[in-house]
Amino acid sequence: MPAPTTTYTRKTPGGRRITEPALVRWGLTAIALAFLALFLALPLAAVFSQAFEKGFAVYLAAIREPDTLSSVKLTLITAAVAVPLNLVFGVMASWAIAKFSFPGKNLLITLIDLPFSVSPVISGLIYVLIFGRQGWLGPFLEAHDIRIVFAVPGIILATIFVTFPFIARELIPLMESQGKDEEEAALVLGASGLQTFFRVTFPNIKWGIIYGVILCNARAMGEFGAVSVVSGHIRGSTNTVPLHVEILYNEYNYTAAFAVASLLAFLALVTLMIKTIAEWKVREQLE
Amino acid sequence: MKFIKHNNVLPGFGPTMGYTLLYLSLIVLIPLSALVFKTAGLSWHDFISTVTEPRVLASYRITFGAALAAAGINAVFGVLVAWVLVRYPFPGRRLVDALVDLPFALPTAVAGITLATVYSANGWIGKHLEPHGIKVAFTPLGIIIAMTFIGLPFVVRTVQPVIEELDAEIEEAAACLGANRWQTFRRVLFPLLTPSVLTGFALAFARGVGEYGSIIFIAGNMPMVSEITPLIIITKLEQYDYQGATAVATVMLVASFLMLLVINLLQRWSRRYAG
Amino acid sequence: MSIEIENIHKQFGDFTALQDVTLSIPSGELVALLGPSGSGKTTLLRIIAGLETPDRGRIIFNGEDTTDRHVRERKVGFVFQHYALFKHMTVFDNVAFGLNVRPSGTRPSKSAITEKVMELLRLVQLEGMAKRYPSQLSGGQRQRIALARALAVEPQVLLLDEPFGALDAQVRAELRRWLRKLHDEIHVTSVFVTHDQEEALEVADRIVVMNRGGIEQAGTPDQVYEHPANPFVLNFLGNVNLFHGRMFQGEAQMGGIRVDAPGYAGADNAPAVAYVRSHDIEIDRSQVDATALKAEIRHIQKLGPSVRVTLNLEGNGGFIEAELTRDIFQTLGLQQGEQVFVRPRQVRVFVEDYQI
Repeated sequence: MPAPTTTYTRKTPGGRRITEPALVRWGLTAIALAFLALFLALPLAAVFSQAFEKGFAVYLAAIREPDTLSSVKLTLITAAVAVPLNLVFGVMASWAIAKFSFPGKNLLITLIDLPFSVSPVISGLIYVLIFGRQGWLGPFLEAHDIRIVFAVPGIILATIFVTFPFIARELIPLMESQGKDEEEAALVLGASGLQTFFRVTFPNIKWGIIYGVILCNARAMGEFGAVSVVSGHIRGSTNTVPLHVEILYNEYNYTAAFAVASLLAFLALVTLMIKTIAEWKVREQLE
Repeated sequence: MKFIKHNNVLPGFGPTMGYTLLYLSLIVLIPLSALVFKTAGLSWHDFISTVTEPRVLASYRITFGAALAAAGINAVFGVLVAWVLVRYPFPGRRLVDALVDLPFALPTAVAGITLATVYSANGWIGKHLEPHGIKVAFTPLGIIIAMTFIGLPFVVRTVQPVIEELDAEIEEAAACLGANRWQTFRRVLFPLLTPSVLTGFALAFARGVGEYGSIIFIAGNMPMVSEITPLIIITKLEQYDYQGATAVATVMLVASFLMLLVINLLQRWSRRYAG
Repeated sequence: MSIEIENIHKQFGDFTALQDVTLSIPSGELVALLGPSGSGKTTLLRIIAGLETPDRGRIIFNGEDTTDRHVRERKVGFVFQHYALFKHMTVFDNVAFGLNVRPSGTRPSKSAITEKVMELLRLVQLEGMAKRYPSQLSGGQRQRIALARALAVEPQVLLLDEPFGALDAQVRAELRRWLRKLHDEIHVTSVFVTHDQEEALEVADRIVVMNRGGIEQAGTPDQVYEHPANPFVLNFLGNVNLFHGRMFQGEAQMGGIRVDAPGYAGADNAPAVAYVRSHDIEIDRSQVDATALKAEIRHIQKLGPSVRVTLNLEGNGGFIEAELTRDIFQTLGLQQGEQVFVRPRQVRVFVEDYQI
């Protein structure tokens, strides 16, 4: 399903004359903050609290464990493949969609958003149906001894699928809102297509790209459902970090599970920080 | 594509559009069509009997019911959070605003084990609920909690920009005409917010229905009681029942396409006053 | 460089933006494309620039067909309505852009570029602004930078899309005079789009009045103002009063006004409309001759140097507006509610749907 699009026109509150009585304002603020504390802040704090429950040494040992390190490596490889591929796609698609008009544009945007509407479990399943032993290409792959699902390529493919729309859907509205005046000006002044893109378009969408990449990366490193379906769940070889967390948790090794989970939670916090800065920059650029 | 070039001097439409369609087909359209073809290979009778097994039917009830409840909770609190964030400045507002996106950024597995721990009988929250006879972890209530967590940003982020865009003059006009704040909110502002609230509700609902990672740890996964549909698919796959997994997945896919349609219609409706 | 526009036709879906437009623009002139919104003037400008491709017709620069030449190779300078300055570049880099993107063989040296940019900044009187960013400039300054940027590539043609549209009244008047002066200095063939008749009359050597995708009239400001080809042009250039009547033997008769219109001699009994500009209406205390009509002053509005008087004609009850200079107004000492006589000084008669 499409995530809500970011809007770039935020006004700062305050300066209004007509508002609610102070008591109502404080009351509503208190309820909202209590809700957020209960549902967001408390679980976040719990991750780190559980991770360090048995001290820093235990935490460090859990992270340094070879299986953990190999899961980190696999997660990094997965993101390193999926994010650049989706970045190239996102830039290409948004150029074609935002700068040109053509019939069927809305249908194309809906199709690009499709992976958001599909359950992660189904996202994994479709690759099993193609590359699995009983799948379309199963016999061919088996004959040539190529493994895709229940191996690293399957994990990467499923990750590309679930993170597919992130960068494109960030760039399309941004580039649309910027129009094509600056590009036309560059062309009139004699710039070539690539010069126009790299000297004029790119600086204008830079922070939008960073925003999309950081969210794409967070999902790529954190995806669980889709990857769970196509992974062979083999420790130390086809386990990504989230899958490793699951295994540790199901083995009742809670401290280790939370220690590894804290890495992902930390990633989430860094993501939120960069995302906030990027949002701010994008808005600044549009003003 | 000559008819398009005619209207535009910017270069690169052909290559970028070509690459877009190729990549979209390879990564999304062809794999998704595999699901449709696989289902088409099933006989109608097999398909129906698979997707209407009592255990599968129970999972629909649990999944859709919990998603509906969670989206309802989010619709109420999401609007409240969005309103407070836009209208009432308080120290740390920016930080709280950034935190709202945590469920987007936090991997679902981490959310899952954390919620399971926090709401377990001796967890931070669970231990306060247990004495009152409220069990959250390993019950359908836990599923609702997890779905509320992951659905929250959808409502807030859909409603928030609409509140920001509300023209102060509208409220001033209402006040000049003698309406009090509550009347203004109920008769003037709420109708303007309704489409976005419904859209956010639908987005949160759709996300909840498909969700897997954050739920399985807290749900307990008891057949007929707290087993969600995505888990049924996984279980069937693990038993090498590809046909069964495909059939159930198709039902879910159709459901999510229907929701996508509803969401698109809602968004079109929400723009009916625009321009 | 001269520009020939031959039978240009442009369609956007069901909307005809330009309908077989033919126009020739002599070298070195400053031409205004004047018309209401939707008249096709901006589309025509963009087609001349090569930003839009016509469905039919040809664009010829100095005798050379450039219709299919890419905008990059046309060597036109284009000033966009909202300036389209590169927000992330300094003023200097904006102006230097067209030189910097040239292939290394034809690109001037760094020092030559610097010299050229500074010369242009002097020309637009913004030498001190080289290091600023567009967001730090006022609207009028941005407009001048956009112009300097367009001139940097030494264009053969300068095209400006509503160059003063986004500016406030005073800056607009100032820039207008400045553009005229600049053009007198550099003499590059220039075309600008505007919907402001005053702007066109003041700045342009030649005005092309456009409406509904076609050209209504092209000529010098005096020609289009003094000899409007049709009611549209007359209406668009200045406030006019309408008198409805009929043709009788080469004479248009409307109420007391009778005007010779020999051009319409064959159109007996056809409905005719007489147009009188508001400043072509004279007000007298007494009936000077038979053409004077009795009227009552209903409203007096002082607009700086001139005074607008709204009058109610006796008989048919229509309202007309007269514009007097303050001097004349004071000499006459007119009061609201007074009975006076009005006399049209110059009347133009057009017969509806009559082809001459």
